[in-house]
Amino acid sequence: MRKTDSFLRTWFRNWYDIFVNELRLIFSDSGVMIIFFIGGLLYPVLYNLIYMNGTVDEMPVAVVDLSGGSYSRRYLQKVDATRECEILIYCSSLEEAQRLMQQRVVHGVILIPADFDKRLVSGEQGFISTYADMSSFLYYKCLTMGTSLTMLDEIHQIRTERYAAAGEDGQVTYQLTKPVLYDESMPFNKPFSYTIFFISAALMLVIQQTMFYGSSLLAGTLREQNRSFASMPRHLQGLGIGRVLLGRGAAYMTVYLCIGTIIALLIPWLFKLPQHAWWGDIMVLLVFFILDCIFFTFTWSTLIWRRETVFVLFLSVSPICMFLTGFSWPNTAIPEVWQWVGYLFPSTFGCRAFINLNTAGCSLADVAPEFRAMIIQTVVYYVLAYMAVFAENRYLARHSSTNSTYPQ
Amino acid sequence: MKNLYKVIRRELDIIRRRPVYILASVGVLAVNIVFYASLFGDGLPHDLPIGLIDQDRSSTSRAFAQQLDASQLGKVIYYDDMHLARKDMETGRITSYVVIPEGFNADLQSQRQPHIGYYVNSLYFVGGALAYKDILTMVNLTGGAVQREVLRMKGMNEREIMNQIQPIVLDQHQIGNPTTNYGIYINGVLLPGILEMIVILITIYTLGAELKYGTSRHLLEAAGGSFEKALLGKMVPYAVIFTVLGVMLELVLFSWFKYPLAGSIWWMFLDILLLVAASEALAIFIVGLFPVLRLAISVGAIVSVLGFSLAGFTLPVEVMPPYLQGFSLIFPLRHYYLFHVQETIWGSGFAGWWQEVVYLLLFFFLPPMVMKRLHGAYIKQDYEKD
Repeated sequence: MRKTDSFLRTWFRNWYDIFVNELRLIFSDSGVMIIFFIGGLLYPVLYNLIYMNGTVDEMPVAVVDLSGGSYSRRYLQKVDATRECEILIYCSSLEEAQRLMQQRVVHGVILIPADFDKRLVSGEQGFISTYADMSSFLYYKCLTMGTSLTMLDEIHQIRTERYAAAGEDGQVTYQLTKPVLYDESMPFNKPFSYTIFFISAALMLVIQQTMFYGSSLLAGTLREQNRSFASMPRHLQGLGIGRVLLGRGAAYMTVYLCIGTIIALLIPWLFKLPQHAWWGDIMVLLVFFILDCIFFTFTWSTLIWRRETVFVLFLSVSPICMFLTGFSWPNTAIPEVWQWVGYLFPSTFGCRAFINLNTAGCSLADVAPEFRAMIIQTVVYYVLAYMAVFAENRYLARHSSTNSTYPQ
Repeated sequence: MKNLYKVIRRELDIIRRRPVYILASVGVLAVNIVFYASLFGDGLPHDLPIGLIDQDRSSTSRAFAQQLDASQLGKVIYYDDMHLARKDMETGRITSYVVIPEGFNADLQSQRQPHIGYYVNSLYFVGGALAYKDILTMVNLTGGAVQREVLRMKGMNEREIMNQIQPIVLDQHQIGNPTTNYGIYINGVLLPGILEMIVILITIYTLGAELKYGTSRHLLEAAGGSFEKALLGKMVPYAVIFTVLGVMLELVLFSWFKYPLAGSIWWMFLDILLLVAASEALAIFIVGLFPVLRLAISVGAIVSVLGFSLAGFTLPVEVMPPYLQGFSLIFPLRHYYLFHVQETIWGSGFAGWWQEVVYLLLFFFLPPMVMKRLHGAYIKQDYEKD
């Protein structure tokens, strides 16, 4: 009995020492502090400022109206009235309009050919050409939306006029012009605003990436100074790996519960982003997600043997993670091999769970698959991190006599 | 000249001894090219999952489902339970769902204007927007088919029917990207952005490492005491590596992937060369400002990541707050992008992009401003190292 008791007590004492030690390391390293607190909090704020207006409204458009009749005028007036487009200037030729587009004065051109009104008056089809500036897809989207929605509306009006001219009464005309009615509902982000989609995904990504960069920075430093945490279990006959991992993990959990709360709850509130979840649910998500990130970080930071190399090697992973969440480029279009790569990152599931909870207003039960994936990741990464420390410990034991322990 | 040669030899030795330099430049760029090229594949998504709740189970509703499924964008997934479809849309397992109510066919045939309902999760930026477009097209086609039947019964010929159903036709042109390929649009700027990131990080790393590992005096010694020669000699090997990478990147984009290019590839070489040079200048400035490796590299990391957003190829710069519009000018990628637009879309030549060249050349004034400060740090090594 006494033996068990003392083992538990030693375990906790060791765990606690490691926990306090890691906290001290974090708070005494200004580089890590910059990444955790400045990086972790600056990015969300900056992104909110950059993407404050997430839509392009009233995009300037040039018009070449060679027809100049009442139909073309009505069409153009309606385009001008859309949220997407604003007619900035009337040009006399397509060349002139395209020159303005090249100079970035306008981002779209509408060309109405000379026979447009004549054709419509005589009951034929009229053609309109549009030219989109493809330097940004949002320009293309604005021009397409503005001109297409107006076209649908005009088509309806012209049909109605034609049926009326043919002597049909109002009700029949209405039924004929609109045989199918439709109700559309685009919940959560109706104008397809960049802000809501990008920032919701970026918030969770910032948690994962800052933790990875900061913790790897610390691990790299300790290895440079030949006092890696992996040497800790040495005097415990290789048995103390569990308490090393859990002690260090507890330190990051403590720090990131604070940072995570600010990122996931305070920032959306501050910038008036949608918050459809109960804060308790978000906290539950944070605990699981941060735990996942911790062992993810512990596993992969094994590759970092020098302090600053984490940035030079792994900074470009951040945009890759962003694409792998499936919010900008649809999941079904991501090649299978990259979907598997996506399963390596906590952010793939963390971002989805956060957006589903926070923005789409799902319940915890609805995001159970994401939670299951995060729990599996946590277990796998814990085992991998355990093995990594074990291997490093053996490596250190073998090389402890030489002066420079780690390969340069 | 001898000293300069000595510094270059010394730098090549460092690169050979530490694999991180080649890994972080050639390796990282290669991985990113492979990732983004394969990610966007054919340039447009296909088979977006669209839920369908068919409460009518008629020939019309089945035809609607088949047409939606046959469209390149959509892939139909059948649901019986409205609640389940709603949940799956909310959690992003389907992009959207369509409800065809009971009696749809009967109402349609007797012109009682049935309703179709559709729900799109607009949190998914590309997937949601495209699914919306696909559904809207299909609904309008279904309506058109009914009208066609009615008009045919009225004795109109096909030409008259088309005139009546679609009196206005839009003929859409996409200048510079006729197939609306996402890969062309994203990769053309994102990959040079990755190169900018690589240049900034490696330049900061190599200059800062001399301070951190206390080797800067040895470097100055090799340069015969001349700081200018030391800096130049250190930069030459990287300038060569980055230039080769940049030229290869442009060749990959325009010769291998065959992305549309209205102008000349030689001007694109100039564009990427200026991007590399301006990024190096910016990186030297950052190290000079913060002669502590970990501080400089953190700043460099923040700058290069922000560069992607502030280049303005995703969300245009003009809709950002005014103070950020000015801020965007300090990112070399912004000017690369504007040059790129002029040359790839318009083939404008010098007249279109000379201003961007001036901006990118202005970055060369940055290093001289911090020269003295960095020189002092190299001699005294008096900044903290960790």
